[in-house]
Amino acid sequence: MQTKGRFDPNSPDIKAYLEELAHQFVREGTMVAFPTCLPGMTTPIPHDECRITALDIDSEGHIYGGTSGRQAHLFAAAFRDLTGVVLDVGVVAEGTSSVAVCCGQSGALAFVNGARGGRAIRIPKIDLAQDWIQEWGLKPPVLEDLGECVPGEPVAHAICDPTRRSVIGITTRHLFTVDVESGKIMVIGEVRGGGHLGLNRSAVFGRDEGARLWQFDLASRSIRRRAIELPEGDWTVALRWASGGDTNQLFTGDAAGRLFSFDENQGFRLLGRTHLAPLGPFAMIPDGRLFGFCGAEMANLFCCDTISGRVTNLGVAASVLEQRRYGYQFGDAVTGRDGEIIFGEDDNDGHLWLYFPKIKGRGRTTL
Amino acid sequence: MISGQVIDRRKFMKIGGTALAAGLVPALEADSKSPDQTTYSVKWYPFTGHPDSDTCWSLSVGPDGRIYAAACAESVPGGVVKPVRYNEERDDLDYLFDLAQMVDDPGTSGRATQCKIHYSFVPSMHDGVLYMATHLSGPPIDLPRYSPWYSWHDPKRCFRGAALVAFDTRNDRVLWWDTLIPKEGCRCLLHDEERGLLYAMSYPRDHLIIYDLHTRQGRDVGRISSINPQALFLDKQHRVWTSSDYGRLVRYTPETDRLEISPGLLPHNLNYQSGWHSVFYDVAPSPDRECVYASTWCPNPHLMRIWPNAGEWARVEDLGPATQARDTTFPVDMFRDHCGGLTFAGDGKLYYVASRWRDPKYNPMPGSGKELEGVVWRLDPQTLAREEVTELKHPTGVANYVSRGAVDHNGDLFFGHVGNRPSGIFKVSMPADRKKKNAHLPIRMWG
Repeated sequence: MQTKGRFDPNSPDIKAYLEELAHQFVREGTMVAFPTCLPGMTTPIPHDECRITALDIDSEGHIYGGTSGRQAHLFAAAFRDLTGVVLDVGVVAEGTSSVAVCCGQSGALAFVNGARGGRAIRIPKIDLAQDWIQEWGLKPPVLEDLGECVPGEPVAHAICDPTRRSVIGITTRHLFTVDVESGKIMVIGEVRGGGHLGLNRSAVFGRDEGARLWQFDLASRSIRRRAIELPEGDWTVALRWASGGDTNQLFTGDAAGRLFSFDENQGFRLLGRTHLAPLGPFAMIPDGRLFGFCGAEMANLFCCDTISGRVTNLGVAASVLEQRRYGYQFGDAVTGRDGEIIFGEDDNDGHLWLYFPKIKGRGRTTL
Repeated sequence: MISGQVIDRRKFMKIGGTALAAGLVPALEADSKSPDQTTYSVKWYPFTGHPDSDTCWSLSVGPDGRIYAAACAESVPGGVVKPVRYNEERDDLDYLFDLAQMVDDPGTSGRATQCKIHYSFVPSMHDGVLYMATHLSGPPIDLPRYSPWYSWHDPKRCFRGAALVAFDTRNDRVLWWDTLIPKEGCRCLLHDEERGLLYAMSYPRDHLIIYDLHTRQGRDVGRISSINPQALFLDKQHRVWTSSDYGRLVRYTPETDRLEISPGLLPHNLNYQSGWHSVFYDVAPSPDRECVYASTWCPNPHLMRIWPNAGEWARVEDLGPATQARDTTFPVDMFRDHCGGLTFAGDGKLYYVASRWRDPKYNPMPGSGKELEGVVWRLDPQTLAREEVTELKHPTGVANYVSRGAVDHNGDLFFGHVGNRPSGIFKVSMPADRKKKNAHLPIRMWG
């Protein structure tokens, strides 16, 4: 059977479709995929050990992260000044899944699951702020295994408190803390653990039974179970959070891609809905825009203006600087020092993706 | 074509479009002589039975020793692929079936179509089955173009998936079909017959897929990189090899279930290339199965010989560029600068087709001939000496882009061609003293 096209090439719909196709990748801003190495000097983390699933940023703007795969690696990265390096700090013995990295004042802690349970690993402070062509000196760092956080329970997530002196984490059944300086792990109490933790200035929040959140008060070190009711939505997925803005608001989303802001005093506010679900990692930049990924298998970048609630599809991730790479799946995100976002690619041969959002135009005002 | 003209892929495939309308596509036969006066005669077989066809991405020898090719229609909205077979009694092509109809995914579906078979014919010798898997790119019937990235989440438009068809060459019937890779196309296919496994590269996500022919279940082994390799090959240890878009060997070892990347880079032009995009274009096994010969899919493609069982990561010999020098300050498209159709013939020599084009500085060919030529080369694996044995001739169009080559049970060469409408295949009759029966054996097990 012969077939012939059934469309008018001059119709507005067809022209609009072709225009959409012409901009299906990164419609705004610029993405740069950076390999997990010091290019030209070291080899990247092996292909099947390089799914980047955990990221954090320290006070100097350096990135610390962890991978998942055949073996979990921990790494440190810098893209400022004369750096441009992802340093493979080492392999976590028998670790296969990095679930969180937390940059504390005196070093970073990673939380890695594997055959030896869910363990806390200390990454020593690494002096990344050097000229990484020749004017540097660094001995291979040594990871320190602080032990299993709660015996027999994999870690679900962990997050630094605002002082960056303590980390709050959860396993599948317990909430625990780790003192960053001493490495001492302390079990606080029993909570349901699943998904990521959210942090504002005074409390940590996590998913509780039903459509509710538990709350851990940082001052009193006490847990309130079922403290906060989630708004109407589809809460059948593990929660992800972002924070930011003038009031250090929290942001989360449901299984249908609905994005909400959350404030202890004002509760939840529906911002908008992404065009695909589920929600992947997202992060907020200083001007109040959230950027993140949505959709399974082949995620799309989205932008949510938390002021207007407008959600925009920014297309599939692609990096074209020097050599092309497509980005399909992402594991974590952090906001960089100058408002760029660093996404961890949760895929074989995962790269760190630096996203530089489009600068918003300023409205003209009459003097 | 005019030198300096922008030639994109779609334009390239339309070059021969007027030829059909003008009735200028009869089979053309021509004799050429290699430098030692050995005659290779060339004949063109257009896919006139499928006038929409614009490409022939697959050409392989079947388990029956006959030549199978894919009459693909990827630039036509609603276009579908029809497998064809060279009929040596009639000296013509037989059109076997409309594959889209066969797998219940017709060109009128409104989805991206079952428009082509892309390096994905593989034989099964014990039962005479030829497996074939489809690839995507053909737009839905009511749209001018298709993008798998754009329509991935659109159930109305998204490609249903690469269809795997088991064609019984003994009885000329389709035994069964299945969806090999949901939502994605199959770029290239390989058959490990001893283990009953098919290996496929998915597009666009570039994942390696393993399909068990006994259970008819597929498994996704994971992503390789971004730019698809165009070929897979198998070694004696049942390891499957391909390449990443960073120009490295990729190896899947069934015993460890791991995809590993080689430390070394495949040969490329060190003057201006980094190895990126040096993915395999075509890979032909040597008759003794100790090594393979390959070309890459990048400008100025290099030929290479790879010994997969030598050392931890194979031994790779750079046999040098397959095409001419050019001005590297301006890019060249890989339809113009191309090498494919690698196959061994009965004389124990490697044959392949490399493009050649007029260039005022690097190759000032006479203005009376065509600007683009497809040259058939013969490489002696002992001495690595190459000789030009003939040139492919199309009656009106171009003949420079050969996708695949194969030798049939009579010992003649066939090449699939991309770049004319209708597309078609070339037959290169081997000189009597270089020809032998069953030259296709042992058979190549990948597309």
